[in-house]
Amino acid sequence: MNLRNVCCLLLCVITAVLAGRDFYKILGVSKSASVRDIKKAYRKLALQLHPDRNPDDPKAQDKFADLGAAYEVLSDEEKRKQYDAYGEDGLKEGHHSSHNDIFSSFFGDFGFMFGGNRQQQDRNIPRGNDIILDLEVTLEEVYSGNFVEVVRNKPVAKEAPGKRKCNCRQEMRTTQLGPGRFQMTQETVCDECPNVKLVNEERTLEVEIEQGVRDEMEYPFIGEGEPHIDGEPGDLRFRIKVLKHPVFERRGDDLYTNVTISLVEALVGFEMDIIHLDGHKVHIVRDKITKPGARMWKKGEGLPNFDNINIRGSLIITFDVEFPQTQLDEQQKDGIRSLLKQGSVQKVYNGLQGY
Amino acid sequence: MELIHAVRGFVTSLLFLLLWSKCEGRESELNYVTCGSLVKLLNTRHNVRLHSHDVKYGSGSGQQSVTGVENADDANSYWQIRGRPNRPCQRGAAIKCGQAIRITHMKTGRNLHTHHFSSPLSNNQEVSAFGENGEGDDLDLWTVQCEGVHWERDEAVRFKHVGTDVFLSVTGEQYGHPIRGQREVHGMSSSNQHNWWRTMEGVFIQPSQELIRHDEL
Repeated sequence: MNLRNVCCLLLCVITAVLAGRDFYKILGVSKSASVRDIKKAYRKLALQLHPDRNPDDPKAQDKFADLGAAYEVLSDEEKRKQYDAYGEDGLKEGHHSSHNDIFSSFFGDFGFMFGGNRQQQDRNIPRGNDIILDLEVTLEEVYSGNFVEVVRNKPVAKEAPGKRKCNCRQEMRTTQLGPGRFQMTQETVCDECPNVKLVNEERTLEVEIEQGVRDEMEYPFIGEGEPHIDGEPGDLRFRIKVLKHPVFERRGDDLYTNVTISLVEALVGFEMDIIHLDGHKVHIVRDKITKPGARMWKKGEGLPNFDNINIRGSLIITFDVEFPQTQLDEQQKDGIRSLLKQGSVQKVYNGLQGY
Repeated sequence: MELIHAVRGFVTSLLFLLLWSKCEGRESELNYVTCGSLVKLLNTRHNVRLHSHDVKYGSGSGQQSVTGVENADDANSYWQIRGRPNRPCQRGAAIKCGQAIRITHMKTGRNLHTHHFSSPLSNNQEVSAFGENGEGDDLDLWTVQCEGVHWERDEAVRFKHVGTDVFLSVTGEQYGHPIRGQREVHGMSSSNQHNWWRTMEGVFIQPSQELIRHDEL
């Protein structure tokens, strides 16, 4: 009897523990993940797990719903605290935003049309204008990624009482003036449609600046453009514009930078740190003579590649030498002559043509 | 007498409460116009939106025309708020009252501009759209005149030109063909009820969190 009770109790405890979903596991993030990491994970998985993308998977709908629930809780500071302390069951019965709202804040109202481009059959439906916003991003954001929150206030077509004229077109009408006499006139003919009025609505959108993003790349939000009274709204596209950086220059996935060292350092060697775009230090040690114009390649210290962020470019450092500012007196000149033991060179040549 | 005092006190505290709650709502960043945002600007006196298009003035400078339109769903009414040339403003930073900005037409990449030419209908100062890819000249700057510290989204503000000191205005004159019904937008030297503008539809960029993390402990 006792054993059975214990087993039952154990079973109950186990099911209670397993009853709540592991939101961190669903999103694939660690317990200490930042909000930015969570948004990034959600956006990546939402594109993969959307039911329209997985028509053959019977569990697609459930997986997608779990993803939405996980994001809703972990992206909210209050809810995340409650979840961390008490699990899913410990969450208060608050207002749950629909997954559609969450999904469309990342991709737009009609974001389930995959591929970013509208399907071909929509060609007959009139579309509202597209909006293209140039989004300036820093090289730091290209390196580490970031999210930009944006409030979109847009006119939305809403039903209104009464009717209106739509699909107006010119048609030729033939009227009979008398026996055998006809007249052709051009007439404007319209259909009758339900009346529509434009009401301004507001919602928050999340644009992701993905790691390694390149200049001119676009992030579309389907349906967030201008409305069309007789058709569908256009799209809102964010066009990335990468700003110049005072320290680093981008060439593809590689970063270029310049360092000025003193003549002494160039001759005897030096040790230094370069602070990278995310704050980490790149350590440089030199114990040989460094010529002006010398280059140092640091593999893996460039930008992450947009298509595979595990691949990184290199950091190429070009050194230039700063000569001493004060002139030398005779004693110092003699000292240098004897120290360096370099004979006079004085070679004359055409340097501009490669001689 | 007592009753009147009591009612007065009640009404005052109610008004105070309303004002205070309204102020609370305005503190959040969501209510400011920020650098990089795309906005439509409505002239509050004449109810038209600032607009431009690939149509040049037939007189004056012959540059791209700037007008006021009635409809709310034209993408040609979007303008991007940008900083001065060579001194870009930080993306998402709220624009301060008194700050000089450029107002760039989204579709054509030309900046709101004014100069010493007469406007075609009212003989005020012509306002045009000038430049290429967002770069024009030093007559592209306008200061935002508003109350308070930052430019708020639902606040009526004035735009004063840096250089000629005119205010961006509409007084109601209408064009004929090919832009029938559109109003003339011009610069006026006096500040009056015709030069109030407020933001309507748009894409308002919020400030992002600081990125640099220091990995060393």
